[in-house]
Formats: sequence, structure tokens, C-alpha cells
Amino acid sequence: MIKLRTTNLTKRFMGLVAVNNVSFSMEEGEILGIIGPNGAGKTTFINLISGIIMPSEGRIEYKGQDITWMPAHERARIGIARTYQLIHPLENLTLIENVMVGSIFARGHSLKEGRRRAENLCHELGLTDLERDTSRLTILEVKKMEIARALANEPEVLFLDEVMAGLNSDETKELIAMVQKIAREKNLAVGVVEHVMGVIRELTHRVIVLEAGELIAEGKYEEVSRNPRVIEAYLGGGAA
Amino acid sequence: MNRTLVRILLILIAVAAVALPAFAGDYPLQVARNIMLYMALAISWDMLLRSGQISFGIAGLFGIGAYAAILGVVRAGMPTWLSIPFAAVFAALVAFLIGFVILRLRAMYFSIVTLALGEIFRIIVHNLHDFTGGPEGVVMQQGVMFGGNASKLYWLVLAGLLVAIAASYWFEKSRIHFALTAIRNNEISAKSSGVDIFRWLLLAFVVTSAIQGMLGGIFVMSYGFAAPDVVFSADFTLLPLAMALLGGVYSTRGPIFGAILLGLVAEWLKLKIPYGHLVVYGIMIIIVILFMPQGLKNLLKPAAKRAEGRSA
Amino acid sequence: MGPSLRRHNLNIQAVKMAIKQRKAIIFAISIATAVVLILWKPTVLIYGLQAAGLYAAVAIPMGLVLGIVHIVNLSHGEFMMLASYATYTVCRALGVDPLIALIPAALVTALFGWVVFQLTIRRALKAPELNQLILTFGLAIAFSQIINLIFTSQTYKLSLEYSSMSLDIGDLSFGVWSFVFVAVAVIYAVGLQMFLTKTRTGKAALAVGQNPKGAAIVGIDVYRTYGLVFALAIGLVGAMGALFLTKSAIFPGVGSPFTMKSFSLVAMAGIGNIPGILGASVLLGLAENFLRSFRGTRDWAEIVYFVLIIAVILSRSLKGKKS
Repeated sequence: MIKLRTTNLTKRFMGLVAVNNVSFSMEEGEILGIIGPNGAGKTTFINLISGIIMPSEGRIEYKGQDITWMPAHERARIGIARTYQLIHPLENLTLIENVMVGSIFARGHSLKEGRRRAENLCHELGLTDLERDTSRLTILEVKKMEIARALANEPEVLFLDEVMAGLNSDETKELIAMVQKIAREKNLAVGVVEHVMGVIRELTHRVIVLEAGELIAEGKYEEVSRNPRVIEAYLGGGAA
Repeated sequence: MNRTLVRILLILIAVAAVALPAFAGDYPLQVARNIMLYMALAISWDMLLRSGQISFGIAGLFGIGAYAAILGVVRAGMPTWLSIPFAAVFAALVAFLIGFVILRLRAMYFSIVTLALGEIFRIIVHNLHDFTGGPEGVVMQQGVMFGGNASKLYWLVLAGLLVAIAASYWFEKSRIHFALTAIRNNEISAKSSGVDIFRWLLLAFVVTSAIQGMLGGIFVMSYGFAAPDVVFSADFTLLPLAMALLGGVYSTRGPIFGAILLGLVAEWLKLKIPYGHLVVYGIMIIIVILFMPQGLKNLLKPAAKRAEGRSA
Repeated sequence: MGPSLRRHNLNIQAVKMAIKQRKAIIFAISIATAVVLILWKPTVLIYGLQAAGLYAAVAIPMGLVLGIVHIVNLSHGEFMMLASYATYTVCRALGVDPLIALIPAALVTALFGWVVFQLTIRRALKAPELNQLILTFGLAIAFSQIINLIFTSQTYKLSLEYSSMSLDIGDLSFGVWSFVFVAVAVIYAVGLQMFLTKTRTGKAALAVGQNPKGAAIVGIDVYRTYGLVFALAIGLVGAMGALFLTKSAIFPGVGSPFTMKSFSLVAMAGIGNIPGILGASVLLGLAENFLRSFRGTRDWAEIVYFVLIIAVILSRSLKGKKS
């Protein structure tokens, strides 16, 4: 079943086209990789879908409903969640409270129920000592907290924006396994932006490639990585 | 055990506060009334600050409440007791209407616009001679509320203060705390967690404005008189702000400490130096911002306890 | 990448065209307004321009600080007030004219501004913006209250012959001394523009304003530059303090309205646009004096700039949201 679909999605900033005419869809239970050279518009694309910015043109549908102009907080409530590349924890709240915010606002749970659910999520992700200040977390813990914060929305579609960046290989492996397990158990559609191709290969079922805001290729990682246009985009992007 | 001790202490303070008129003369009661009024304003300012919005418009909403109350009594024949809730509702309504526009502003733009709005309110009141009495103001013919009974007036201000403390406590203990803190720390992250930023800001702005309006009503009912330069005085913005900063922001406790300390110091200085005693407020603000941005409340509380208090 | 870059250039061209068009329209409207005012209400034009000069000359230094140091200095007007009091004291003690004290007043206030910067503002530069706002708010209170403490709330004024000079043209009679503010405003705007684009220090300051981190990398001492720019701005305000004394009475609260007015003018012009402050000041000065020229609206003149500031901030922020 298709969870999310964009049609001709376009975003221009002061004349610069960041996302150009992108049409794609995501299915239930699918882990989709979103790749492309730096500045290809991957984060802008996620910002559009999560409602942090509004598109210049095009259409976004979630479970058949047109959500193109829906505010971000409402998208969080109907089941779209995301993490941020630059994670800024809510520094005046503790670890558990950071996660709770999603439970109590996106899901509307009471404080008590929200805390209980947030605790369960943290345990699932292997986070302990939940009353800690966010300044005392390790990088891996911050990443996990960010994922837990997104999962607290109890989403059906989840976007992970470079959550593996800055982790060592053991930590990356742990987090890959965790994301796969959660996606399977909760039957999520997951969109993953990563620069490390090994992560994409291991984690995703399918990838889309963006270059200068345009979708230039789509398919299994093995196919896409042999696509001459994709190779050129990466090399060209590196050379420019 | 520690907690029971705190509770007993709080009850004792409450009893002492209520019983103060029994053993204090007119002058201490007058000082206490002043301090409590500013304390309540400081708390209300802090409540909005918890969302990251610095209002410089306390005096504006205080003045609106003051005029709503006195004009309600003088022009509409409202009973004095009703004029105080009326002031709160009126200020809330004004806040609701302007909130739709100004709560889209952030940081210094919000601050400056609240200051400008306060000035606009003052000029409007100043210029609508026929209705507001113009620069000379309005006097209540029937005189001060409670016939000027010092004890009753003291209890009236105390009641206003308790409303502010209760509201602040509600903000601290309910989901409002999570909404406002999330907005203050990171709006984008808050949105992604389903926080409707505008709605919570509007709630905080309307509630704090209602408190400020109510206090304006209480002020004017206990003096029986309102003039633009009195009720829109910058002091009503300045003093609460300095008190909250000194005591420590983002809490109910901080503004209370700050108000007691600064209120007493200023009162003492006023006797010593009639002009410019407010200099202590300016210096206090500078010192607090530069050397102890957390305010006094954290000096009184060891670091370990701070974390505990936050999760409670 | 190629095609999108070309499209980008095209768009820039279009934006430039639109700006040119807008400038032409604004120019035409201002000429038309001036002609109408000369024929209908010449005093509005004269006093409006004089007021505009005063506003602009005080606001331009604030624009400099906002554009380069990136702080909203809520004690801006209070620095002018301090300079006025200092000049007054010296002039009374030595019996000299405030015009002679102009340059010394500028130098002393610049030094004072530098000291205040080093002692307070510098320490708060890395703090959240709101802390800076509150800090300068505290400075404003401290300054005005210290003056209150020393001089009480009484007003002081120097009576100077030249400041009440007037000119008669036909049946029109008006004071001319206040045109000195217009001259100073123009000198400030042109001088600063030259300083920022032609001199080495000015270019460095501009670089710091645009990109402090980049400037630090190429070896510019960012904090020293901030300090100098702040001192320069306060010095310019100090000179205005001495000049203000030639025309107006002073009291402890005389500076604070200038803070708000300056901020609204800078916000209206757009941060970093010093010549724009001149235009914004003319608009404000004319609007205020226009309302003042009718009996029915006289008392509402004061409200103009508060309404203007809110309108400008709102329109700017809403426009910013859209793009």
C-alpha cells in the first residue's frame, strides 16, 4: 500500500531551484534510500514532506489525502515523523522529556501516559538513565534520542536525515540493525538520507537519486550504482 | 522528609502572608502591597518568557486593565468587585486580537513591537479626552474600593498574587511546560513533534495579559484614580523584568525571590535618595546578565537538586 | 547544474529590474509629495525635513552598530542624553558654546562607549540575542537613573541666540538652525559610506559585519573591530548630544524616545542600508509634521512612528516568511 506520494514537487528559493519536479512514492514496510551529491536537495525534499517549508509547486499525498499545504505539526499528528541532520536537543528538558514531547503533542497522550510510552521507546532503543540532561549524552545516545523523539509521534512514515553521520562502524552497525528491526515491527515506510554508500546498500530496499533537485534515477541500489548518469552526477558534483 | 519540611514552611509563609495585616502597620502593608503587585507582574512576564518571547509590553496591558476597570465603574456603573475580572477579560481580549499578528514575530522584533503597542495604548488613552479623561485621568467619585481599608486592600492584592502564582504553577506542571520549553529551545523540532506553536504562544500571551490586566484593575481600584502617565508608566515593565531576572527566570520561585529582594532594596533606597533610586534596577539587570544569567534561585539550590526539581 | 545556474542569473536580472522600477516609482512619488507640500503646506515640508535630519543623524550610528556588531543597543538614545548632560556641565562651568564642545564631546563619548563595550556588551556577544537586548536595556536604565540621581528630573536648557534665528519668506516665517541636523545627517551618511567602502579599517569592519568567522580567518581582530565600530557610533551620537543641546531642553528621559525612533528607522531602511535611513527619516518627519499641522490630528502625531514601526516590522517579517 502506498503511504506517501509526491507529484511534480518543486521548491524555488529566490530563483534557485532546490527541488525540481520530483515525483515519487513510498510503500508500507519499505526502506527507501535518498542519495545524491552535496546540495542535491535531499534535505529540502524532506523539509517539504515534513512541512517545515512549503513547496512552490506540486502536490504531496499521504495515504491518499492531499497534505501539500498542511502545517508541520499536523503532519506530525497524522503520522509523518523525521529526524534532523543537525540535532538540537531541547536543552531545557531531560532525555525522557525530549522524547515525551512527541507522545503528548503528536499523539495527544496525557503526561503520565506520554512518559510511559516514551520510556518504552527508550528501552527499545537501548537508552538508559532517562532523567539525564541532554548535554550529558554520547553522540550515539543523541542519535538514538532523535530517533526515539521521531518514533514518539507513532508515525507510519519516518525520514532519517543522516542519522549515521559521525558514528564509528560498530555504532553504525548497531543503529542499522535497530532501524531495520523497528521498520519491520512497526511496518513503517522509512526514508533514509545517508552519504555512506555502505549504509545505503545494507539498509535500503530501493533508492532514489537526486541531482540539482531533480530525480535522475530510481531502483535497487545495485542497479542505480551502475547507472552512468548517477556515476557522472557524483563525479561531476565532486569536480565542480 | 525534606519535602514535608518545605510544605510546612510554605504553609507558614502563606499563613504569615494572610495574617500580616493583624500585626503590621499601614506603612509595611503599603510596601507589601507594592512588592506583591510587582511580584505578580514579574511572574506573569516570566510565564511568557518560558516560550522564549520577551515582552516589553507589561505596562501596556497593565494600563489597559487599569483603564478598563475604572472606566467600567465610572462610565458603565459597574460594581467595583466586577471591574477587576472585567479588566482581566478585556486585556485578554486585546491580547487575543493583537496576538494573532504579533505572535508571528520573534526575538527583538516581538519585544520592540510589544513596547510600541504599549506606547500606542498610552497615546490613545491620552488623546480620547471625552471618554478617558485625557492626560489628567479619571477619578472614582465613590472613592477607593473597600473605603480604603488597608487590610482589605492588602488582601485584594494578595489574592491577585495568588492567581498569578496558581497560573504559573499550572504552566509549570501541565503540558504547557513542555510546549513552551520546546518552543523556546527549538521551534522546528517542536513542530515536528506535533506542537502547534502559534496556539500555545497565543494561550500563554492571553493568560499572561489577563493577569497583567487584572493587576491593573486591582491597582486602580485600590487607588481610585488612573492617568496615562501613571498606569502606563515604564516602571510596570521595568521593575518586574529586573525582579524576574534577578531571582532567576523560567520558574515561579525566581520572580518571587527577586521581587522580595529588589522590592525591599528599592523601598529602602527610595527613603535615602528620592531621585534616581531606580538606578539599582539598571545595575542589577547588568550584573545579572553578565555574571549570573541563571539568577539567584540557582545560588540557593545545589546543582544536583536542580536536575531533580526539573524532572519532578 | 548548468541550466539551473543560468536560470538563477536570469532571475537575478529580473529582481534587479524590479528594484530599479521600484526606485523610480519611489523617486517620482517623493518629488510629487514635495511639490504638493511646497504649494499647500510649506511649513510641514520645512519642519518635517528638520525633524528628519535629527532622527536620521541619531539613527545612522545605530544602523552602523546593528549592521556590523549585530546588537540592538537599547541604550542608544541614553548615550546621546549623557553627552548632552556632559556638554551642558562643561559649557556652564567654562562658559563656552556647545558648538566648541562638539568635537571633544564626540571624542569623550566615543571613549566612554568603548569602555562600556569592553566592560559589558563584549561579554554578552556570545550570549543569546535576548540577553543582549536585556543588557542594553539595563544600561539604558542605569544611565538615565544616574543622571536622575545627579541632576534630578529638572529640565536644563541653554539659551543661544543663533538657535532661534528665523527666516521670513513672504508671510512664511520659520526657524533655520535645525537645518544643521539635516547637514549632519547627510555628512554622517556620506562619511560612513566612504569610510566603509574606501578605507582599510572600514572595509575590514564591513567584512566583519558580513561574516565574522571569515573575517577572523583572514586575520581581522573581530572583537577589536566591534569595539571600534561601537565607539565610533557612540562618538557620532555624542556629537549629536552636544548639537541637540543647542536646540532643546534636556532631562533624564530625553534620550529614550530616540532609541525607539532610531530602531524603527533602521528596521524600515533594512539592516545594513545606511542611506535608506535618510529616506525613512524623511517619511517619518513629514508624516509627523503633517498630522501636527491640523488641529484635529495634532495630538496623534506622536503615534505615527509607533504605528510605522509595527507596520514595517510586520510587513518585513511576513515577506521574509514567504520567501
